[in-house]
Amino acid sequence: MEERQYDLIFICRPDTPEADIDKVISTLEHTVTEKGAKIEKTEKWGRKRMAYRVHRLREGFYVYMVLRSSHGEVVKELERRLKVSDVVIKYLTVRLDEELKRQDKLKRHRERRAARRPRKTNPATQVVSPPGGEQATAL
Amino acid sequence: MAEDNAPQHHGSPSGSPHHGGASGPPGSAGPRAQGGRPGGPAKRGKRNFVRKKKVCRFCVDKVDLIDYKKAEVLSPFLQERGKILPRRMTGTCARHQRWLTVAIKRAQNIALLPFAAEL
Repeated sequence: MEERQYDLIFICRPDTPEADIDKVISTLEHTVTEKGAKIEKTEKWGRKRMAYRVHRLREGFYVYMVLRSSHGEVVKELERRLKVSDVVIKYLTVRLDEELKRQDKLKRHRERRAARRPRKTNPATQVVSPPGGEQATAL
Repeated sequence: MAEDNAPQHHGSPSGSPHHGGASGPPGSAGPRAQGGRPGGPAKRGKRNFVRKKKVCRFCVDKVDLIDYKKAEVLSPFLQERGKILPRRMTGTCARHQRWLTVAIKRAQNIALLPFAAEL
């Protein structure tokens, strides 16, 4: 099966020490590698104000991760762990590979159109240009 | 925040079209002067108010993917109370509006955007 890409964001209590957050991250990393997936990147966004109160808290410590996996089982396990953890107050996993694929397709489509456009707009130059480098660079 | 005001401004045109039409006497100078601007001469008795053509902001910027993590990009498309602004207000094209709503809903789930404004 093709590889899937997920975004995982979780929010910790703002008063948790950095060490505890690192511990959560390392356990997640451990389970991810155990399940045969890998982490593309981990970012700590730090303390941010949340748009609404969660557990009566106005702020939260955001952590953002990107995962790659060939099956969805990892996500299930990760979410279970996040749910159990006391310091984590909120989490979200989003599967992104299909959207990225779409983005890629649109981008390629646009580039191809941009490459074709000069030929289309003035066919007179097209007759002259083929030996010219314009087309060669486009392809 | 300037974007925030713009939709609000567009919100009122539901009442605003009267501006052209309700100025009872069609011969009044105001509408005619306005109608003359776009090119042709003002037609008598016809409502002529100039409405600026709204274009999809995402199409202008050639956006292929609306990132739900960028709350500052999404927030102009919310009303003050947290509702998603309709297409007719913002001028977003159908495709981008579809992506936008998904992105906004994701952002709401992770508390980057509000579901409803707190009071």
